[in-house]
Amino acid sequence: MRYRTGRLLLGVTAICTFAPTPGLGQTGAPSAYEPPRTSDGHPNLEGIWQALNTAAWDLEDHSASLGVPAGLSVVEGGAIPYQDWALEKKQANFEHRTTLDPEAQCYLPGVPRITYMPYPFQIIQQADKISIAYEYLRTVRFIHMNGVPHPPGPIDWWMGDSRGHWEGDTLVVDVVHFNDQTWLDRAGNFHSAALHVVERYTPTGPDHLLYEVTIEDPEVFTRPWTMSMPLYRHQEAHSELLEYQCSSYLLEQEWDNPASTLFEGH
Amino acid sequence: MSYRLPAAVPALVLIPCAFLLTSGPVVGQGFWREDAPKIPMAPTWVAEKAELPPYDPPRTPDGVPDLQGFWGGAGGDGLSYLEDHEFVDVTTPAQETFISDPPDGKVPYTPWGLAKRNEILAGLGRGWPGESPERLYSSPAAYCQYFMPRFSFSALEIIQRPGAVIMLGDEGHRVIPTDERPSFDDSAKFWFGVSRGRWEGDTLVVEVRNLNGLGWFDSTGQFYTENTRMTERFRLVDADTIDYEITIEDPTVYTRPWTMSFPRRRPGTGPNLRRSRLPSAVAINAPPVEDPYENEVWEEACYEGNGEGRAALHALGYEWFRGVTPPE
Repeated sequence: MRYRTGRLLLGVTAICTFAPTPGLGQTGAPSAYEPPRTSDGHPNLEGIWQALNTAAWDLEDHSASLGVPAGLSVVEGGAIPYQDWALEKKQANFEHRTTLDPEAQCYLPGVPRITYMPYPFQIIQQADKISIAYEYLRTVRFIHMNGVPHPPGPIDWWMGDSRGHWEGDTLVVDVVHFNDQTWLDRAGNFHSAALHVVERYTPTGPDHLLYEVTIEDPEVFTRPWTMSMPLYRHQEAHSELLEYQCSSYLLEQEWDNPASTLFEGH
Repeated sequence: MSYRLPAAVPALVLIPCAFLLTSGPVVGQGFWREDAPKIPMAPTWVAEKAELPPYDPPRTPDGVPDLQGFWGGAGGDGLSYLEDHEFVDVTTPAQETFISDPPDGKVPYTPWGLAKRNEILAGLGRGWPGESPERLYSSPAAYCQYFMPRFSFSALEIIQRPGAVIMLGDEGHRVIPTDERPSFDDSAKFWFGVSRGRWEGDTLVVEVRNLNGLGWFDSTGQFYTENTRMTERFRLVDADTIDYEITIEDPTVYTRPWTMSFPRRRPGTGPNLRRSRLPSAVAINAPPVEDPYENEVWEEACYEGNGEGRAALHALGYEWFRGVTPPE
């Protein structure tokens, strides 16, 4: 397996270094804003939303390069708290990112990465579930709100298993059952199948959500860490989700390319 | 009984049996028996709906029929076969035609269109009678692509909002505006096209334009072009059944508009067609499913799991279908 060495090291490291999680994600975002509500009294988050930052390229502080806008870290404290081996792995990922990034294979990008990729998504709220329709790959994600717990694992899903509940006006989504194939951005930031994500969506105005994410993965990080960013409501009068059918464009481009590596390794 | 086949299977059935035998069982997989009864489709449904009494559907707060809920489909599994046929092989049971008009149940191709259709059919490489030795194309569905009308042939959930009808499938979604907004310039093309909906009486009518012409109607190479327009009609005929019709227009390859029709039923409320409900728990590594999850839609990740199938089709010499160019 890809992370065998790390896993062996880790059991010990995790136990020794795991600490309770303070931070952004736990405090919520007390706000005077009174959001519109659905018939069951919860904030109505429906609409088309999109992140407007450079997290898709790199979650941490980074300079500009060809095709990559510079940006500030969205990570609380600035840097992701990798274990030593994992930092080396991340750096190797970065060096080989054009070939190793699963986004380059058009695979499902995982959570939270899909949220801050440069494509809009639409939230559709029902009593027993909240669905998120993403323009990227026309992905549909179901956040079950009916109190049924995560199914027993292990299950290796690209997008994980999402179970949500409300804490005040914040939608809190607990996501587990990931595989170890997705990255967190195009800079090689990564996780293992032990990833546990907690997302918090809090309306802070009619056209803004505060999106806070706690990332927990004792196999890769020294402690849980958080990122946060605003999400913006599309303002165009006729905004609608279109499509980005990544895999079809990739196959169309690579099918007749004699140098393609897309069909190797199977 | 038959069960739905994962979308990745069409790729597998095209390659040697040894591969299939060694690939192990897949949850939910099943094959059709030769003596399975012919699957009813448009002719049976047209006769049945002609006898139905008028129905006054329940309505949403804004007064339009309430189509919300989960609805079965009639295909969309990547192995579908549009026209009437007897048992071909374990992937392709006997089934009536999807086509309700023209009455002969066949796609009314122009002579050029029919020649192209037969060329594609002969090059499918499925081991069917009449095939040429040359492999040509496999269905875009064999590469886990989603498009119209494959999405509409599949099971889906309908959710309504003022100004929009939302359809969620197992791997895809449509948000259909019903607010009379403008469409796109013809030059913008999409696998799903651009959908614009409206209510005509109690029927939801959806016009689909801006198609990229790369999708197929079924797995046997029934094609359309980037000139094709589709008009769908969704109408509740009783509490548990939607009459679904889709009319296809494209004078560059068809001699006349033509229509397909089948019933969409709420899960568990009528005879299954090819596929009756959204899948759950098809992930190969998933544990046995327990009751609380029975009605959840679980991740399929067709493309992500189909690397071997893609590589096999590529190695076998299939071409990538880039659409057809009808004569001027």
